[in-house]
Amino acid sequence: MEGRILEVRISVNGVDHQSDVEPRTLLVHYLRENLSLTGTHVGCETGYCGACTVIVDGRAVKSCTMFAVQADGASIQTVEGVADGDELHPVQEGFWECHGLQCGFCTPGMIMSSIALLEENNDPSEAEIRHGIEGNLCRCTGYHNIVRSVQYAGAKMRGESPQGASQEVSS
Amino acid sequence: MTVGTNAVKRDAHDKVVGAAHYPGDLAASDALVAKVVFSNEPHARMVSMDLSAALDVRGVVEIVTAADIPMNEYGLTMFDQPVLIGVDSTSRSKVPSDVSRWEADHVAVVIAETDAAALTGARAIDITWEQLPLAPDIDSADDAAVLIHPENGLSSNTYYQFKIRKGDMNAGWALADVVVEGSYTLPHQEHAYLQPEAAVAYVDEEDRITVQIAGQWTHEDQEQIAHALDVPLDTIRVIYPAIGGAFGGREDMTLQIVMAAAVRKLHARGIDRQVRALWNREESIVGHHKRHRAQITARWGATREGKIVAVEAAAALDAGAYNYTSNKVLANLHLSLTGPYDIPNVQVDSRAVYTTSVPGGAFRGFGGPQGSFVTEMQMNKVAEALGMDPFAIRLANVLHDGDDYVTQRPMPDGVSIETVLERCAEAATWESPMTDPAQVTPIKTLGVSRSVSTGRGMACALKNVGFSMGFPERCEADVTLSGDDEIEAAHIAHAGADVGQGAHTAFLQMTAEAVGISLDRVTGTFSDTATSGDSGSASASRMTFMSGNSILGAAEEALKAWNDGDRPAMGHFRYVPPPTEPIDDATGEGWPIFAFGYVAEVVDVAVDTETGHIRVGTAWCAIDVGKAINPALIRGQVEGAIAQAHGYTLSERLAVVDGRTLNPTLSGYLVPGARDLPDKIETVLIEVPDPIGPWGARGMAEMPFIPYAPAIMAAIHDATGVWFDSFPLTPDRVLEGLGRLAASE
Repeated sequence: MEGRILEVRISVNGVDHQSDVEPRTLLVHYLRENLSLTGTHVGCETGYCGACTVIVDGRAVKSCTMFAVQADGASIQTVEGVADGDELHPVQEGFWECHGLQCGFCTPGMIMSSIALLEENNDPSEAEIRHGIEGNLCRCTGYHNIVRSVQYAGAKMRGESPQGASQEVSS
Repeated sequence: MTVGTNAVKRDAHDKVVGAAHYPGDLAASDALVAKVVFSNEPHARMVSMDLSAALDVRGVVEIVTAADIPMNEYGLTMFDQPVLIGVDSTSRSKVPSDVSRWEADHVAVVIAETDAAALTGARAIDITWEQLPLAPDIDSADDAAVLIHPENGLSSNTYYQFKIRKGDMNAGWALADVVVEGSYTLPHQEHAYLQPEAAVAYVDEEDRITVQIAGQWTHEDQEQIAHALDVPLDTIRVIYPAIGGAFGGREDMTLQIVMAAAVRKLHARGIDRQVRALWNREESIVGHHKRHRAQITARWGATREGKIVAVEAAAALDAGAYNYTSNKVLANLHLSLTGPYDIPNVQVDSRAVYTTSVPGGAFRGFGGPQGSFVTEMQMNKVAEALGMDPFAIRLANVLHDGDDYVTQRPMPDGVSIETVLERCAEAATWESPMTDPAQVTPIKTLGVSRSVSTGRGMACALKNVGFSMGFPERCEADVTLSGDDEIEAAHIAHAGADVGQGAHTAFLQMTAEAVGISLDRVTGTFSDTATSGDSGSASASRMTFMSGNSILGAAEEALKAWNDGDRPAMGHFRYVPPPTEPIDDATGEGWPIFAFGYVAEVVDVAVDTETGHIRVGTAWCAIDVGKAINPALIRGQVEGAIAQAHGYTLSERLAVVDGRTLNPTLSGYLVPGARDLPDKIETVLIEVPDPIGPWGARGMAEMPFIPYAPAIMAAIHDATGVWFDSFPLTPDRVLEGLGRLAASE
């Protein structure tokens, strides 16, 4: 198989790409190296940490567990394609507003998993949120602010006015 | 007021849209690839290394070996580690460079056109090794048949020691109505920051060898590189882009020196292409230091009224193959063996031991978690022996302003442990613990088990702020003010590392406050040795404290210049805190620490005695932060520290056997996920000002980690009647401890 090149057609963030890839190229490497979309991160290459999560045809997928050729014909959304111009997606706004990140390396994957979760159920319980992001590891935050960020986004997506953290002051 | 508000992190926008660049995101498309080759030998002498086949691999451009390192040694506090193991070293270092003492010692850097070529080249290097005997743990290293660093001239592998001799032990034991003894084994812990090691290196426009990497102290990286390459400091530049977590794990060198050496060698050949390197998760876990393993014994005596009158302790720290920061970690561990308590008679002996295992080094808490675990376990056991309340016995023994520390010199002012304990007990309603097991189910999918027992535990700690023990502590800042009649904008240049904790946001907030303008008019340039003076590291819970004082000084200088009519007006300041001193070799006397932070925690746990699973209901953390510069970021630090401590206590089990790490994966080493943590973390922020902290701020980011493990053990004891003196408490170990499963070893 070495040296063999296959042609794939993949739509990424609404843009159609026609690319030549090796059969062994992982989707995450295709996104990062062929398309220079470095917002999708590689944390373990074993499908455990979730930093590489993207949405493939509406489902959250760890892009280190999928070959680029398997995505032939698919429509993919990465963290770079989530905002509408300058307007953040409610989930991005939630992570921004609720201090849902520290180092930020897990954040793109967390955001993609959260979007997939909320598109299925925009009013999840805390337990459902924790279940929904269980495949994404965060080593910085302890997850509490991430859960709040998703709750914020859910409220926003339901048309309610959510509560952020930025008004709280020191006692 | 900008200080005290929850300003959103300055990097938050880039991080939520995927525009933040970490070291692995920076390489140019034509960058060469550097593959670092590990020795894979825990203890062996290199007999020969043949590169010819590797150099013949198509796409391999160059190979860097020990011969390319003029001063083949490095180390944060002791130069005891070769940069590259090799037989052809001409270095002046006294550290023998032909011996691999750790499986992740580096032997070569293969530079190639592609990842595949670099990997093929690395595999084609032909090395012959002569095996040397292993000494993979403290017990085997104590049998001095194998000396791991004979060049240091010592007759054993114990290479660093501290003592405390305070009061009169015989008098202390004579007063004791109860004596409690314990023997404790503390485990390794892996940092598991989400971003594996990565770097790009190149020669910049001013001919400086430049390394962009994630670290914790730009200027120390620069110094280590310049030392090993034997070049002037200003020919090296270190820049930190976005950093994907650190927690102490990036304090020592990984790719810094070898990447600079790679660029230097290529440059000498006339090749000026960027070089990139990226470790996978396995290389990251195998290839950097860990929180130390340790063995500690303690014997405490107390009066019937609960006054601790004698403490005797002995600690052995597994430093691994190289010192890293083990001598400094040992100092912290040593001093934390008496905790925040005023104890009249103390005898402590602590030592660091070289072994042929993974080096121990900095990790959030820096010796505090190991020492305080023992202290708090002993305190809780003494309380049990006396039938006393764990809260009351602490109040009877805590330090106050004006008391001497265990080093027999006065505590720095602002001792608040009593207040912290009281606020923690109040928040947790200490007298009325959770009694309904239905509130907590260890395995949610199984529902409430009838075999669940619940319990509650308490622990507390103090932790030093800043480099201690006589280290020349300092931090620089540059503030520039611009405008005509009014100050329209301020700029802060600072080297301090933002490892994710939000340091740069705090720098901007403190600059705005110090200058007296709004936050939106402050900009910053950060973490680049070419644009800032030395800040010291983002470690030791020191960054806010030190940077705040440096910013206050620089802003004052800049405002003075502004009032003198300078446009723009510039201020530079180098903050130096009160000088500390090392402790006396024989007695431990001295003034080693200029500031402390204080913390107390209470936890409720449920133990399923049939399955061995443990669930933490609520964790309360009361912490004195002096002044919360950004309360939301501080709460994030508390929650993150507790999450890491939760893994340390219950699930993170690194298997290091015969000098090899057997489970270097995130599927084999279990970092807590979103469903594993306490159901609730209740943070109580207390603001007792530190007299010399900026706006009264104290360091805080390590402190919440420290009491968690002993608080959990106390709660498990409350639930089951069993004391667990080693951890992590995976279900099998819980069942062994409860006598329901035969011991596995």
